[in-house]
Amino acid sequence: MKRYDLIVVGAGPSGLSAAIAAAGKGLKTVVFDENERPGGQLFKQIHKFFGSKEHKAKIRGFVIGQELLEEADQAGVEVVLNATVIGLYQDKEIVVRTGETVHHYKANAIIIATGASENMVTFDGWTLPGVIGAGAAQTMMNLHGVRPGKRVLMLGSGNVGLVVSFQLLQCGCEVAALVDAAPKIGGYGVHAAKVARTGVPFYLSHTIVKAEGTDHVTGVTIAEVDAHFQFIPGTEKHFDVDTICVAVGLSPMSQLLKMAGCQMEDNPKKGGQVPVCDEHGATSVPGIFVAGDVSGIEEASSAMIEGRMAGIRASEYLGYMQQEEEKSSLDQLDHALDGLRQGMFAPANRGRNITETEEGIPISENLLTHGFVAEDEIERFPGVTRSIGVHPVMECTQNIPCNPCQDACARHCIRIGEKITSLPAVNPENTCIGCGLCVASCSGQAIFLVNEQSEEGYATVTLPYEFLPLPEKGEKGVALGRDGQEVCSAQVVEVRTSPTFDKTNLLTMKVPAAFAMKARFYRKKAQ
Amino acid sequence: MESRIMEHPILGEIKKGRKVSFYFDGKKLEGYEGEPIAAALKAEGVMVHRYTSRKHLPRGIFCAIGRCTDCVMVVDGRPNIRTCVTPLKEGMKVQTQYGVSAASFKEQEEKGNEKI
Repeated sequence: MKRYDLIVVGAGPSGLSAAIAAAGKGLKTVVFDENERPGGQLFKQIHKFFGSKEHKAKIRGFVIGQELLEEADQAGVEVVLNATVIGLYQDKEIVVRTGETVHHYKANAIIIATGASENMVTFDGWTLPGVIGAGAAQTMMNLHGVRPGKRVLMLGSGNVGLVVSFQLLQCGCEVAALVDAAPKIGGYGVHAAKVARTGVPFYLSHTIVKAEGTDHVTGVTIAEVDAHFQFIPGTEKHFDVDTICVAVGLSPMSQLLKMAGCQMEDNPKKGGQVPVCDEHGATSVPGIFVAGDVSGIEEASSAMIEGRMAGIRASEYLGYMQQEEEKSSLDQLDHALDGLRQGMFAPANRGRNITETEEGIPISENLLTHGFVAEDEIERFPGVTRSIGVHPVMECTQNIPCNPCQDACARHCIRIGEKITSLPAVNPENTCIGCGLCVASCSGQAIFLVNEQSEEGYATVTLPYEFLPLPEKGEKGVALGRDGQEVCSAQVVEVRTSPTFDKTNLLTMKVPAAFAMKARFYRKKAQ
Repeated sequence: MESRIMEHPILGEIKKGRKVSFYFDGKKLEGYEGEPIAAALKAEGVMVHRYTSRKHLPRGIFCAIGRCTDCVMVVDGRPNIRTCVTPLKEGMKVQTQYGVSAASFKEQEEKGNEKI
């Protein structure tokens, strides 16, 4: 039986981070993962991450994954793939299945970073080929380059449902509708808004009645539900789709911890059955630590910080680190993690009905029910102002921990301040030069450059554009409003791409001046 | 192969292995070496991977990460192979799985009757 100082189960963002931290302190560390490739779900995340610099904000998930793998390599972490840990026994002995064989390993400390699995809901026809998990869609399109379907209905408006809907659009699928039984959108408003402005309709308080088809999905019927989630007769709506994507949350995969005798709890705020652990991942069993989604559903940025915490705790536990050093390292990580756990979507706020922003501004109800901020709501937010000449318009209306736009602007036109969750505000004293770095830096694609009077009777609107084919300069088309409906005709006057923009292209369109604060997306005229 | 994403706005060109041929229920199809069998089948428009043993209901890709076992098929004669996590190889024989066999339910029934 092979022995290690530390065995980490799971080579996702938290497991790799844990192994890097521990190996850096000299622990002989191995990571087992059941998958063919390391990185967990990071390599399917093609959007820019939120947060601040210390959280790797505005870097796309798969790039963070590549960096993590390089770091693990340099730290001398051994990663064993295609290796499923099937048991965690007394005295930290684990059983690993590789192919047709089973091997035993032993360590002095264990970190469980097994992540989460997708939840499912059942409805008539839910087992038909063509009904897939949102994770499956991401795997197919972002890892294997195969479209999950031609026309897709998304069930679930949490961040996964919203982000995957956008990714489906990016790879050339049509999204027929985004549906959620809840009365309000669960994910970030900015994620919803970037989907809504392309014309995808949102159906809140709706769910699936039936997936249609005999051998595979050929359509779907949804209907409205009442406050008790019962269907309201007569509200049925039919869509011709070949794929139904289900994004209804995640559950921690905590079975190994239960098996090891760790004290467990059912905690709905953490997504289900989780180990009881302290803020740095120590479970009730000395020497067994946890990190990432297995100890409570959050996201990859916090998982990476939790991983480092667990790695440090394990190092101290095994005597590879002094307590003072442990404390100062953990203090830093506490601060970083605390930054991510702020704002309207913080774990502490789950289930709470928030009606005002931290600034005391009534939140956009339309954003929560239809996916976009209504015209009569948008101008009450501090990022949305009118002025002469080109200026940034930040349609960022919910307090989320994110601030790259503030750093992106060299002219300091954008102000968030010390508190990372504050809404970005326009600094009227400074002059925008129209560089567009803020537009590209916004992970929520919520920043536009507007020149309300670029020439007599016309305005220009610059928007983030991450689709193919890229429109050409001079091309004529239509401008869409925040709701994805046509508002006026538009002409593309500039398309900017740059390595600094990291694949977020800046499309500038000319629209009649009256539509400067209405036009938010561009579509080529159908031939 | 219209479900293949040739160029992606963020990922650019998707890197693939060598083009290989394989057999799905005897029919020659093409895919890329090393990609999951399920991805190759999906790209070729195959939706049904198996039929359940009791109710004979169709199943296809569901989780795509080897967890749900909905996508299992008979691969090179072995049943219950998770096609979403099994890399495609040149000349592989992939068959629709009926219950736990590549023989249709009718054939299985006839065989069963013979035994009796």
